[in-house]
Amino acid sequence: MGAPSGDDLLRLYELMVESRAFDDACMDLLAAGEEVPHFHSGAGQEALSIGSVAMLRPTDEIVYTHRGYAHLLAKGVPLATIAADMFYRRGGTNGARGGVMHVSRPDLGVPGREGVFGTRFGLAAGLALAHSLRGDDGVAVCFYGEAAGARGPLYEALNMAVLWNLPVVFVAENNGWSVNSRTEWLFPGGRMSTVWSGFGIPVTEVDGNDLTAVSSATARAVSRARAGGGPSVIEGLTYRLHPHIWWDDASYVPARELQAWWEKDPIPRQRRVLEEEGMAADRLDDVERRARNRVAETIEAVRGAPFVEWDLEVGVEGVR
Amino acid sequence: MSTTVERRVRTVRESLASTLGEAMAADESMVLLGETVRAGGAQGVARGLYERFGPSRVIETPVSENGIFGAALGLALSGFRPVVEIYSADFLLAVANEIVNDIAKWRIQHGQPGAQLPVLIRGCMGATAGLGPEHSQSMEPFFFHSPGLQICVPSTLENAPALLDAALESRQPTLFLEHRKVYELQGSGTPEPRPAAEPGTAEVVRVGTDLTMVAWGWMRTEAEAACATLAEHGVTVELVDPRWIRPFDYATVVNSVAKTGRLLVLEEAFITGGIGAEILARVTEAFPGRALVATRVAMPDVIHPYHAEMERQILPTAADAVHAALRLVRNQDES
Ligand SMILES: Cc1ncc(C[n+]2csc(CCOP(=O)(O)OP(=O)(O)O)c2C)c(N)n1
Repeated sequence: MGAPSGDDLLRLYELMVESRAFDDACMDLLAAGEEVPHFHSGAGQEALSIGSVAMLRPTDEIVYTHRGYAHLLAKGVPLATIAADMFYRRGGTNGARGGVMHVSRPDLGVPGREGVFGTRFGLAAGLALAHSLRGDDGVAVCFYGEAAGARGPLYEALNMAVLWNLPVVFVAENNGWSVNSRTEWLFPGGRMSTVWSGFGIPVTEVDGNDLTAVSSATARAVSRARAGGGPSVIEGLTYRLHPHIWWDDASYVPARELQAWWEKDPIPRQRRVLEEEGMAADRLDDVERRARNRVAETIEAVRGAPFVEWDLEVGVEGVR
Repeated sequence: MSTTVERRVRTVRESLASTLGEAMAADESMVLLGETVRAGGAQGVARGLYERFGPSRVIETPVSENGIFGAALGLALSGFRPVVEIYSADFLLAVANEIVNDIAKWRIQHGQPGAQLPVLIRGCMGATAGLGPEHSQSMEPFFFHSPGLQICVPSTLENAPALLDAALESRQPTLFLEHRKVYELQGSGTPEPRPAAEPGTAEVVRVGTDLTMVAWGWMRTEAEAACATLAEHGVTVELVDPRWIRPFDYATVVNSVAKTGRLLVLEEAFITGGIGAEILARVTEAFPGRALVATRVAMPDVIHPYHAEMERQILPTAADAVHAALRLVRNQDES
C-alpha cells in the first residue's frame, strides 16, 4: 500500500477528528471534575498514530502506547469498546481488569500492551518472528515513547530483529516530553533513534504532524518488511499538546513553545491539505460534525451503560 | 568390553532431553529458544534437538534475556508454544519483569482469563559445588508470590519426564526448575509407567505415622536418606514431594499432618520467605486451635560461598533433617 489519497485521505481525516473529539471529551470531563480513569491525552499526535497504523492490514499487529486511542481507532477497534474499557462499562475487552491501558483485540492485530515499558520491543520481535516462522507476510509495528525507548530491551530486540531479519517496524514517538523531562535531557541531540542507524537498517526521521509524510514513511518501512527486507525505525517528531495526565499541570511547558506547536496541530493542517486537494469545505465540515456527534453519542451511551459485573474469582488459581 | 553399544543407564538430563524432543516432534508449533541451545543448551537438555528440528524450531538467541522473554510472549500470543531456556535460573531475576508483570498477568489483564498462554520457561538451578552466589540459588521462592504462574521442580528420573509433559500440556506459563544435582540422578533403567503429574498434585513418596516430611527437587533425595536413618531410630516418616510449588497441593500435606501430627519442611532455598514458611502457615490454618509441631530445615540467610567446602557446610542435608525430626518427635514425646 502506498501513501493514501482521495477518499482514503478523507477517511483518515475522519479518524483524526474522531480521536481528537474523544480526547476533547475526556478533557472536558476532567475539567468538570469527573473521573476519566487513566486518561493520557493523545492530542497533537494523531497524524503519527493514524498515518502509520492506517498503512497496516488487519493481520499485522501493533503494540500501542498509553496514549493510544488514535492507534486503536485506526486499527479498527470501535470507539465504544475503548470507552467501555476506560469507564469500566460492559462492552469493553477486559472486564475492568486492565481498563483503557490494556485494550486488546487479537482478531484485529491488537494483542495488548505492557504497563512496565520495555517488554514491547521483545514482544514485537516475537510477533514478527511468528510471521517469519509461519512464512506469511505479516508485519508487527511497535510504537514507543521516550521512556520505553531509553530502556535496554530496545537494544536487545533491535539486535534480534536485524539478526533474524524480522518483519518489524519500530516507531519512535518523539513528542518533546517524558512526563516533565525534555527529550533533550534523555537522548543525545534530542533524537530517539539516531544511535540505531549503527545497526545498518533504515532510520527515518519524519515530521510526525504531517499525515502524508508519516504514511509514506510507514508504507515504505512496512512493504520492505513484508517483502523480507527486515526491520526499520521511524522517528516521528511531534508534540504532546496536553499535560501528561490529570494531575500534571504542565507548568514546566513554556507557553510560547506550546503555542508554536498548537499552530502545527496536525488536524487543521490536514484539513488544509484536503482543501488544497479540492475537497469542499462543507464536505469537510460535515465529516467533522458527524465524527464529533458520533463521539459525543458514544461517550454518553457508554457512561450511561451498566458497569462491568465483577467476578473476583477470575484469575484465582483453580478457578481461572 | 562388549562390542555392542550398551544403552547407558538413563539420567534425568537425558530423560528431559528426550521428553522435550518427543513433545516437539508431536507439535510443530513448539519452538525452543535460548542461549547456546543450538549446541545442546547450558545443561545438555537441548542436545540433538537442533540437528533434529533445525534452526526454525531450535532458535539460538543472543544473550538478551529481556528480548528473548518478550519474544516468547509474542510467539505465545501468535499461537506458538515457546519453550525458553534460561542459562541459569538465577538469571530469571533479569527478566522478573517480563515473567511477573507481563507473562503472568497478561491473560487476566487483557480479559482472556481462560485463554492458554503456553510459555514454558526451563533451566537449571540449585547448589552443586562452589558455583557461587549467582549460580546456585533455589529460585522458586522469588516467583512463588506471583499469581498467574505455575512452578514445577522435578526430583527423580521417574517424575521428571512426566512433569515436563504435564507442564507443556497445561499450556500455562510455567517455570520448570531443574536442580543441577537432580540431572545426574539415574533410575532403574527399566522404563516405568509415567506417574500422574498434573499441576498441583503432590506425590506421597512413602507412608508413615510419626512425622510428615515435605521435600522437593534435590532435597527429596536428601529426605529419602533422612527417612531411612529415621526408620533405624524407629521413626516412620510420611514423605511428600509436592513437585508443583505453584499451584501447591496443600491438601495432601494437611491430610498427612492430620495423621502424623508433626511437620518438617526440608528446603534448599533461604529460610526467610521460603516455601516452607507458607506451608507451615497453611497447615497451621488448617488446624485451628491446635498448636502445630512443625519446623523448617533450610538454607540460612547467607549467600552461597564460592568455596565448595564452605558451601557444603551451609547447605541443608539429610543429617540436618534427621536431627530436626528427632527433636520434633522427642520434644513432644517428653512433654
Ligand atoms: C519501565 C517503566 N519506567 C517508568 C514508568 C513510569 N512512566 C509512566 S508514563 C512515563 C512517561 C512516558 O513518557 P514517554 O515514553 O515519553 O511517553 P509520553 O507519555 O510522552 O507519550 C513514565 C516514566 C513505566 N511505566 N515503566
